[in-house]
Amino acid sequence: MKAHAAALVLSASLAACGDDPPPAPTQTEEASIVLLPVAEDPTVSFSVSFRVGSQNDPRGKAGLAYLTGQMLGDAATEANTYDAILEKLYPLAAWYGVRVDKEMTTLTGRTHRDNLDAYVPLLTDAYLRPAFRDDDFERIKNDTINYLMNTLRYASDEDLAKAALYERVFAGTGYAHPEEGTVAGLRAVTLDDVRAFYAEHYRRANALIALGGGFGTDLARRMQATLDDLAAGAPAAPPPLEVPPLAGRRVLLIDKPGADASISFGFPIDVHRGERDFYALWIANSWLGEHRNQSSHLFQVIREVRGLNYGDYSYIESFPDGGELSMPPVNVPRRRQIFEVWVRTLPNDQALFALRAAVRELERLVDGGLTREQFELTRTFLKKYSLHFADTTSMRLGYAVDDRFYGIEDEGHLERFRRMMDELTFDEVNAAIKKHLQYANLEIAIVTGDAAGLSAALATDAPSPITYASPQPQEILGEDVEIANFALGVPADQIETRPIAAVFEGP
Amino acid sequence: MAAAAALLYAVPSHPQTDETPVNGIIPYRTVVTTLDNGLEIIVMPMPGDGLATFWSIVRTGSRDEYEPGRSGFAHFFEHMMFRGTERYPADVYQRILTELGADANAYTTDDLTAYHVSMTRADLERVMELESDRFKNLAYSEAGFKTEAGAVYGEYRKGKTDPLFVLYETMRSTAFERHTYGHTTMGFERDIIAMPTMYAYSRTFFARYYRPENTILFVAGDVDPAAVNALAEKYYGDWERGYVSPDVLAEPPQRNERRFDLGYDGKTLPLLWVAYKIDAFDPSNRVRVAADLLAELAFGSTSDAYQRLVLEEQVVEFLAADPNLNREPTLLDIYTRIKDPEQVDYVLAAIDATVAEYRDALVDADRLAALKSRLRYGFLMGLETPDQVAQQLARHIAISGGLEGIERLYAAYAGVTAEDVREAARAYFVPGERTIGVLRSAQ
Repeated sequence: MKAHAAALVLSASLAACGDDPPPAPTQTEEASIVLLPVAEDPTVSFSVSFRVGSQNDPRGKAGLAYLTGQMLGDAATEANTYDAILEKLYPLAAWYGVRVDKEMTTLTGRTHRDNLDAYVPLLTDAYLRPAFRDDDFERIKNDTINYLMNTLRYASDEDLAKAALYERVFAGTGYAHPEEGTVAGLRAVTLDDVRAFYAEHYRRANALIALGGGFGTDLARRMQATLDDLAAGAPAAPPPLEVPPLAGRRVLLIDKPGADASISFGFPIDVHRGERDFYALWIANSWLGEHRNQSSHLFQVIREVRGLNYGDYSYIESFPDGGELSMPPVNVPRRRQIFEVWVRTLPNDQALFALRAAVRELERLVDGGLTREQFELTRTFLKKYSLHFADTTSMRLGYAVDDRFYGIEDEGHLERFRRMMDELTFDEVNAAIKKHLQYANLEIAIVTGDAAGLSAALATDAPSPITYASPQPQEILGEDVEIANFALGVPADQIETRPIAAVFEGP
Repeated sequence: MAAAAALLYAVPSHPQTDETPVNGIIPYRTVVTTLDNGLEIIVMPMPGDGLATFWSIVRTGSRDEYEPGRSGFAHFFEHMMFRGTERYPADVYQRILTELGADANAYTTDDLTAYHVSMTRADLERVMELESDRFKNLAYSEAGFKTEAGAVYGEYRKGKTDPLFVLYETMRSTAFERHTYGHTTMGFERDIIAMPTMYAYSRTFFARYYRPENTILFVAGDVDPAAVNALAEKYYGDWERGYVSPDVLAEPPQRNERRFDLGYDGKTLPLLWVAYKIDAFDPSNRVRVAADLLAELAFGSTSDAYQRLVLEEQVVEFLAADPNLNREPTLLDIYTRIKDPEQVDYVLAAIDATVAEYRDALVDADRLAALKSRLRYGFLMGLETPDQVAQQLARHIAISGGLEGIERLYAAYAGVTAEDVREAARAYFVPGERTIGVLRSAQ
């Protein structure tokens, strides 16, 4: 029931939930506020987003957007030091925090409605009156550099392979580097850079405020009024995003001594939320590799039948934190997405076999399409499964904000998604596969402790048979022969090996 | 199979039902029923947008792996529960869940294994039929068993790239000499490697622990308790008793501080872990309840230690303390990542000074009040969806066998005094009962 109520008021004005008319929208024609009242919710969720992200990092200062965002969410304001903020939030068990993505920076928070009076000034100060203190800057900058140098390089191989894939696919664009930046870029950023970046990008015309849960009209009005305290003036246009076309198959091996193999591969696609083809492609992708779900075909082939690793999935939208999240995240909207396959960590001597198995399944999907039965099953699944995508007010709020990004606020993504599951035809889905998916041109990123061995094996395309601890049915062994001999066809000069210490070093 | 089930269903039974109105920390009424075979069903109707969540909580986890060579088995077995029955082989089970659009998964911890399915209200019966079938009639081939062992080793491989996990693993094996808390839920790597040879044991494991008197069903969302109970009787009423409790060895008292230094193959900042022995979780143990507050007051985000080490001096990246909620005596963990390898001893001295301070002095009344407020609001804010409620309550349900424990706990939190906090510090911050571990890059 909650979902329906929320959808209905999505485009309503402030007057819809209170006695006083709303203040006239400022700067933009549309009201820069989204309201999702849920009367029975004892909490209030907040979202304040800005159209700025890591793609706006200046040359040589990769990480500036990230540091600026964290200086709002994780640092002092003019009124309070950061420790005073922590102390004030503490008894409320309330929080706020910032996510910096490529296109968008989002400050989200949540409190019990008992505590709105104490909470709201802390939250609004965070984006209106950041203090930009030296001690906070040093702490955040050091932690971010340590994240790249230690955590991403040495403690999360799967995320590393995914980030490396992005770097290759989007080479030369603002999407290439991790949202956190690069080591050299972060080192080059000064506190004055942060101040200037904030002044340039955190403008009224760039902001969207969203409120969900058990709030009243006064709070909505108060939140909208905070927009007047942001600088006026036109925001910078988003930087160009010209994705270089891929030519053939290329491999980046990240040489990390001692590591097992973690694989990601993919290619750019040009289809977006709201477009009919996008939902058709979602059905195909869900069948091939539904995230963290045993219904994923890749999961069945690589894990369930062969036990090679913990899971195998595919994506048509960015899905950060895939190791932790079971449902798609919000506030990571993109102008360009990639089709991406994630083969989870497995022994180096089985990496080539697993890569072959995954590429082969992609080829089979592209060439053969879905069967009618697979199509029917998957759309039936998705129609109900999508009910789990946004089960909380704050997730629904996140979807509403993303809908604005994609320009589909009249019929939001989730509503459209369910309608499309009814409307899309078998032929449309298979046509979308043909139109948007392919296998000739692939970027492949592998973190491995055996870069030399894998490089040689890829260059010769030699068979990569595997053995099992237990007898397997003849049907599986027969398929194994096909997989082991499946030609990847990566030219030797398209195999690059990079030492781990050089990854995301800069500039 | 179906006929047998129907016959047994006809046997009269006299389940006991208790209804708890809303008068404590949990803002929803609960209906608790126990079937004749000992299976407890907790139903919590709450707004769910037409969705409901169905949890099967088995009160068995890595704690129960008392036999040598069997570490990690509870977790491995959780994987096997997805390998099907005669009636619903794995692919059929999976296909039905796919048709239902259900969000289904499972996890294993030291004290429990939880299987959860979130689905539309209308699909609850189908899910209960499926779930009861695998809990009663699990059947898988030896080949399927061996294949799954490979996936479990893959899960271990993925985890061991995290240095914090590597330190945690050695902390456990050093702090515990006899008790099964000495291994992590993943198990020792040598045991994981040997798993493919343990098919026969897996049947024993199932027969011992997957029994109604060792399992609690938790159902929340848009559901009617009477209807859920009727379904529970229909699908679980014939599940036979037979639980055999594990012979877990008690951990002997620790007399001397233990310390280990660990080299890590990758590159990492140093990690420091200090673990004190504490009592099993028990909401009626005043000192143990106070330890929950002690850990947060001494090392949480508003503590002097956090302000100094994380914010002012910035010598550590994070600082955390966790008094584990366990069924048996366990550890109060304090752990941190240090920015400068030269400052490990400095940070340890700061932790020692904090510990000494809490043993000597009484905590400020305002800070204690702020923490109590935080605990209450933190709990309430985590109850937004049926699935969140289940996630938050599952461990309490598994440890204490129901929901009374959580009501007693929050009532006890409200009554904790500054003297109780000091008493907890004196009882648990005992130098001879702690283990210190340091992990550094080997390179």
